[in-house]
Amino acid sequence: MRAAALQERRPVLDVAHLTTEFYTPDGIGRAVDDVSFGVRAGETLGIVGESGCGKSVTALSILGLVPSPPGRVVAGSALLGDRDLVRMPDRELADVRGNEIAMVFQEPMTSLNPVLTIGYQVGEALRRHEGLSRRAARRRAAEMLDLVRIPEPGRRIHEYPHQLSGGMRQRAMIAMALACRPKVLIADEPTTALDVTIQAQVLDLIRDLQAELGTAVILITHDLGVIAETAQRVIVMYAGRTVEEADVGQLFAAPMHPYTRGLLASVPQLDSGLARLAEIPGVVPALAAMPSGCAFAPRCPNADDRCRAEAPSFETHAAGHRVACWHPGEAAA
Amino acid sequence: MTESAVLEVADLHKRFPVRKGVFGRVTGHVHAVDGVSFAIGRGETLGLVGESGCGKTTVGRTALRLLKPTSGTIRLGGSDITALGNKALRPFRRRMQIIFQDPFSSLDPRMAARDIVGELLGVHGLAKGAEREERVASLFERVGLRRDQLGNYPHEFSGGQRQRLGIARALSVQPELIVCDEPVSALDVSIQAQVINLLLDLQAEFRLSYLFIAHDLAVVEHISDRVAVMYLGRIVEFADKRSLFADPQHPYTESLLAAVPVPDPTRARPTRRLQGDVPSPVDQPSGCHFHTRCPYATHRCRSEEPVLKDVADGHQVACHLR
Repeated sequence: MRAAALQERRPVLDVAHLTTEFYTPDGIGRAVDDVSFGVRAGETLGIVGESGCGKSVTALSILGLVPSPPGRVVAGSALLGDRDLVRMPDRELADVRGNEIAMVFQEPMTSLNPVLTIGYQVGEALRRHEGLSRRAARRRAAEMLDLVRIPEPGRRIHEYPHQLSGGMRQRAMIAMALACRPKVLIADEPTTALDVTIQAQVLDLIRDLQAELGTAVILITHDLGVIAETAQRVIVMYAGRTVEEADVGQLFAAPMHPYTRGLLASVPQLDSGLARLAEIPGVVPALAAMPSGCAFAPRCPNADDRCRAEAPSFETHAAGHRVACWHPGEAAA
Repeated sequence: MTESAVLEVADLHKRFPVRKGVFGRVTGHVHAVDGVSFAIGRGETLGLVGESGCGKTTVGRTALRLLKPTSGTIRLGGSDITALGNKALRPFRRRMQIIFQDPFSSLDPRMAARDIVGELLGVHGLAKGAEREERVASLFERVGLRRDQLGNYPHEFSGGQRQRLGIARALSVQPELIVCDEPVSALDVSIQAQVINLLLDLQAEFRLSYLFIAHDLAVVEHISDRVAVMYLGRIVEFADKRSLFADPQHPYTESLLAAVPVPDPTRARPTRRLQGDVPSPVDQPSGCHFHTRCPYATHRCRSEEPVLKDVADGHQVACHLR
């Protein structure tokens, strides 16, 4: 019911054919290659893939944060309402970032400034975007810390990042990101550095705040368990490309791409009882040494000559289920 | 059981001083390991789980005598190694090895792969020259690396391959016991599966004993025979893996299991989550260390420290309520 209502609304953020290249000593590499997706208000879109598959660069490309040089967004668009973030001048983008679209990073210790108080950092966006005074920003910062369930917010705003635990730092990051009530929140591996019990708390928190504020969330993670518990739609990335997109139920029940199948099979599960895990042989290819044809072919159990020669296009195979594979849904040969 | 134990640790304590000021005055102690006992049999894997800061890494390092225990005894194959000096420890060092979590910082970037893997053969005087080269090459193949990579340096290997290098190095001296300290937590899932499978194969082939330290319960369940759950320096539950995961007794184990995200979107999310953080190990809570976060804590839990007791065959738990 709720899912059907979500389907009809227009996406808040609509990314189309996003392509980002990096200059490397070995040549130009495409870190993000023709990636498209949309995310609606109140919805969580999961982006999964292993390290080096382009998840983070996709997020940075949307926010105009790709270090340049060596990186450059060479094609595509990211529409926030009617405005294209990719073509927006830097100054205008700075008004949008942290205001209408915000990001939470993996490592709270390296993304918080160690010499500024928590209160200052959480209030910074409010001063910048809403023109609040220092005092008003500090008061709102304390409210935000309370919202993310940090105990004693009045005391914590005067503390520095090193005085908080890992879980609290990550919650402070979320408070920073949500301070201006953004329409879109991009969370890049927000719980990877945390213990499972703290991870569960942080994910619950993101979910609660999303329901309360109607934020569209893009959750980037390598953990399929986290995806299953938080996302409604999922895109799977491999070597810079989207290889599969589906509703979360469909993706786990009937994965079509051999990479998705491999990922699902290689996750150890509680009471799985199997002695050996399914492996995906080999490693993710290097940026500047992409194989011709389908990038997954060298690791794929079903690859044939066509896979090695020609890259499959991203096609719809069932309602809302798209996959880039010449042999979608085939069992391993 | 005790007869054939490869490693036996009894009432192990490890305290680190907390120093302050220019003169390094000792202002307190971190009681990282607080009375831990266990034994690992030949060919057996003991999993050690807990959140960061619970002392699991310190247990591993102290058991290997990389750290000096404050008190307690450590026996390797029946010999007491608790108080041995460095020289006397040498022959025992060969029999116990460690694999670290971070394959990026645990390998010397200026050493070629052949020297990383072969170094211990020289240290223990086991092989040199052409014989060493041959042993290293066969180890390379055994862990799934190619012979032509022998001359490469660590940066030329991927994360999973570096972890294989670490495994080959540990294997080179034919140890009985390997402490695996979070060996797969820095790796991608597909690579993680490769490394776990390799560890299982090697164990079957050489009858290795593993002390497998990890925070990922699913990984621990997969690889272990028995599992010990640690919280703030103490083992709070100890059981056969089947009985631990099917029937957890300690409230902490229960909440750890409930917090693991399950890759199945149709499963209902657990409603009750563990709240709060692990308390600082410098001023540990009184009584049961877990009482500050335990949903069932009573007055007794706050004042009296529970001891490990049997609740079923080989299933031990330290909780007043069981």
